[in-house]
Amino acid sequence: MSRFLLALAALAPATAMAAPGGVPELPPYQVRAAQPAGDRLQPGRDGKAVFEHSCGYCHFPGGMGSNLLTKQMMMMKRPPSDGILSNRRDLTADYVKAVVRGGKGAMPAQTRVDLTDAELNAVAAYLARNAPKGGKK
Amino acid sequence: MKLTLPPRVSPQSFDAALKAFAGVVGAGWVMTSDSDRDAYADAYAPGPAEQWPASAAVAPSSVEEVRAIVRIANEYKVPLWPVARGKNLGYGTAAPRMAGSVVLDLGRMNRILELDPKLAYAVVEPGVGFFDLFDEVERQKAPLWLSVPGNGWGSVIGNALEHGIGYTPYGLHARNLCGIEAVLPDGDLLRTGMGAMKDNPAWHLFPMNYGPTWDLAFSQSNLGVVTKAGIWMQPAPETSLELTWDIPNEEDIGWVIDTVTPLKIAGLIEQNVFIPSWLGKIVVLGNRKDFWDKPSAMPEWRVKELLKQYDLGYWRVSIRLYGDENVNKAKAEVIKSAFKRHLSAPPMEVWWRQGDPRPPLDLTLGTPSAVPLQMSDWVGGRGAHLGFSPVVPATSEHVMGQLKRSRKIIADHDVDFYASFTIGGRFANNVNMLMYDRDNDAQVDNMKKLFNALISETAKAGYGEYRTHLGWMDRVMETFDFNDHALRRFDEKIKDALDPNGIIAPGKQGVWPAAYRALQKEGAQ
Repeated sequence: MSRFLLALAALAPATAMAAPGGVPELPPYQVRAAQPAGDRLQPGRDGKAVFEHSCGYCHFPGGMGSNLLTKQMMMMKRPPSDGILSNRRDLTADYVKAVVRGGKGAMPAQTRVDLTDAELNAVAAYLARNAPKGGKK
Repeated sequence: MKLTLPPRVSPQSFDAALKAFAGVVGAGWVMTSDSDRDAYADAYAPGPAEQWPASAAVAPSSVEEVRAIVRIANEYKVPLWPVARGKNLGYGTAAPRMAGSVVLDLGRMNRILELDPKLAYAVVEPGVGFFDLFDEVERQKAPLWLSVPGNGWGSVIGNALEHGIGYTPYGLHARNLCGIEAVLPDGDLLRTGMGAMKDNPAWHLFPMNYGPTWDLAFSQSNLGVVTKAGIWMQPAPETSLELTWDIPNEEDIGWVIDTVTPLKIAGLIEQNVFIPSWLGKIVVLGNRKDFWDKPSAMPEWRVKELLKQYDLGYWRVSIRLYGDENVNKAKAEVIKSAFKRHLSAPPMEVWWRQGDPRPPLDLTLGTPSAVPLQMSDWVGGRGAHLGFSPVVPATSEHVMGQLKRSRKIIADHDVDFYASFTIGGRFANNVNMLMYDRDNDAQVDNMKKLFNALISETAKAGYGEYRTHLGWMDRVMETFDFNDHALRRFDEKIKDALDPNGIIAPGKQGVWPAAYRALQKEGAQ
């Protein structure tokens, strides 16, 4: 993502930065998965669906979290695609849980109504699924 | 965060209340750990979040559970702080005004009960966020649009009840509320408007009661817990045309206001027109240190350099028209002629037509986003913001007066100036964004002093705020001083009559029940 697009993705209301001659190209709005049915307190939640439903506001492409993380990744000379959490290969379940419950940077801590412990366990496992065993990238 | 008990409640009594809550909602939905208390703290607190500590949180899933919790709270004298989704960022997040209150988190009550494309309204529970409603509209392909605030993460009902604003023709969100269901402080259940009659199909269509109308008495209020409400929505337009001008100079805001306001009052412009100052454009281009690496406020000469470098005006005005293409074209001609009297440059024109994708970050097209919160990243560190938000008449005289006054106070405190005016009709909401690093004590201290100065000087000039952070609720209420604070005295009389135990949201907006009135200085800035 270019610096210009990153820049565009941060304005309230966003149209105020529309590029001359047209609307800027940004990822289209992505409808989130519905919250999975069933008891939210019980283990075995669908981590991908919960992630999309409860984290997609900010962590889909073009979301606040994705934009800020993309900027951080680029500053660290990592590929911009690493700004999308579901692409990451270096996340551990414990780290995901710590950030969700403690907050990080612009992200506030999430309550257990936002994400139950069972849901967080499932999301953490989903985001850590790509991490190679042994901790190397 | 350590446990702070509610005032005058013993540990034993508190524990008994929590057990009784758990008997209603299940133990998994009563949240009492230090980590839980942290999660319900003010994410953007100016200074320590412990200034406004919750003791616990309880999350019901139905109106019957809310009623049961309210009755238990009365029994144990445990005050409740209701939040819809708890995302009132910049105004206190989910944290309670009074230390030790139990957050009543309505986030699980997230059903969309009706979506009526014919009469253009929805009926929703408080846990329904803007994203939830938008996604449901998309799934049903309903020809309805939302009006969304800067943070679409929050609750549709919660934002309307807090007097939130959006940027479409439905941007005065409290005015979209029609027909409310509320649990009263004694656990009784009220339906307003036509809903006062059982099964009346006009409940969410006719906006008044038979007799006194109470819907907005539950907004910015501690008179009850709203458990569902009707929300009027915008019928999806055939086309939309956006006209955008860069406005070169600071003082030009005067003619802009005097040009836009009559068109807005006459109905030719339907949306709330958002006019941000230069920093609103610069914050998106990087972090503060990229443009000005000193702690002092960015000086005028540097601002001028940046505006020239990035080819920006001091203000930017985007006016969006909605509806039939020919009507939009005709309206655009009127607006362009009015602007041409002051500015020769033509506007940038962008059309949207049915079938086109809606740009994902465009709040004026009703697409929810949390991206505007990125501005907190501007200052670096754990960025946060406070909004100082007075309301002024929408004329050049009042707007220029407010601009000069707040600008001077902000400059005197050596802080960057970032203001916007949103013309909502006969009035303009002036939001001054004050951004700071939560971990920089000197910066936080300066922000608090600045905020106090803005409130008092603005009140001296005769204007008040429409909304404020927990820490300033009393100070702002104090500015509404007609007839020895008749408004607060009236609010308190009603509060004490309806809520003798002071159970619901004590201190909300500076209205304290008799039971806790002596505590109002605690947590006040």
